Amino acid sequence: MHISEGVLSAPVLISGAAMAAAGVGIGMKKLDYDRIPQVAVLSSAFFVASLVHVPIGPSSVHLILNGLLGLLLGWTAFPAILIALFLQAVLFQFGGITTLGVNTVTMAFPAVFCFLVFRAGVMSERSSVSLFFSFLCGAASVLLAGILVAIALMSTGKSFSAAGKLIVVAHLPVMAIEGVITMLCVRFLKKVKPEVLEVGHAKKSA
Amino acid sequence: MRRKVLERGVFTRSRLFLIMGLVLFFLLSSSFPAEAHRVYIYAWAEGNTVYTESYFSGGVKVKNGLVQVFDLDGKKILEGHTNSKGEFSFQVPGKTDLRIVVNASMGHRGEYVLKADELGGVAASETGKEQAETVTKTGSQESQQGGVDQLRKVIEETLDSRLRPIARSMAKLQEEKGPGLTEIVGGIGYIFGIMGLLLYFRSRKK
Repeated sequence: MHISEGVLSAPVLISGAAMAAAGVGIGMKKLDYDRIPQVAVLSSAFFVASLVHVPIGPSSVHLILNGLLGLLLGWTAFPAILIALFLQAVLFQFGGITTLGVNTVTMAFPAVFCFLVFRAGVMSERSSVSLFFSFLCGAASVLLAGILVAIALMSTGKSFSAAGKLIVVAHLPVMAIEGVITMLCVRFLKKVKPEVLEVGHAKKSA
Repeated sequence: MRRKVLERGVFTRSRLFLIMGLVLFFLLSSSFPAEAHRVYIYAWAEGNTVYTESYFSGGVKVKNGLVQVFDLDGKKILEGHTNSKGEFSFQVPGKTDLRIVVNASMGHRGEYVLKADELGGVAASETGKEQAETVTKTGSQESQQGGVDQLRKVIEETLDSRLRPIARSMAKLQEEKGPGLTEIVGGIGYIFGIMGLLLYFRSRKK
């Protein structure tokens, strides 16, 4: 899912960087003092998740965990993912420095999007409903990230349908795994520390 | 009563950290044999042919990936596609440094620089010829020359096939540097360092 250096054209890189900067700006504004450790822990989780290779499927893929980050962090997923991606680029040579903006957007935007869409469902009192939406959140954010990567790659002259199909098919097992991981995390956190799930406005009103 | 509540709070928090630590540990330990998301290409010359092999860092071969060969000024010399084993070979275009770039699917890109002096094939066979000539001169009879030529050819072929795996594994060793424990732990350390900085500056502001 990391786009390498030298693949994309300058306009795509620049617009990606601008969008990432905007997202990170919003995220930093929403970052509460009390939540900084949580952001760091999830940023670390994202950082190492890319090392967990999923051997199923036609191509080489790894875990992303952006759905989980979105659900637990909301907009602060942007800075968390930016930092993790930067370190992955520097230490692992995944992706690259010039593609940092594009990669941040392709992974963090789905995280925030799924957070906004599925949050209400995840917070439901009925545990079956909550688990169902958690699974959807984990799976959909991977799917959406794949679609965004395909859009970014369109600028290289590849047709959207070809690139998109390949990415989505390759990530089907990852989608399933991340759905389950998100589900288990939500169930666990609801039991042990439910206030973690109340991101943003819920806390401010209190 | 109050103490009880406090204890409970401490208990759940430490338990949460324990679980998060365990998750991180699990991610770390499971990542050792499996590497991650990067494309490698390595190349070696043999006679007048340059062989290349491309694979994802999980070991999956790059099938039908576009391989482009440039000189160091960025001029494209030739291109082609890898076969189902991730291999692609081409004739040595001349005594020049080659930059071999593979474009795999999903925005992955890898490159390998093959130095001109590694393209030993042409030069080596010339010196071989000279040696053979000196040998034939001592032999002085024409009928022997054919035999020596043949012998030289057989020796060369045998050497080539014997040395091929060595050249291959040397190229692979040069190129393959998956993330090690130092990088992983270092990255997590950086993230927590950033967390500390943020906490420090925000606490001064308050």
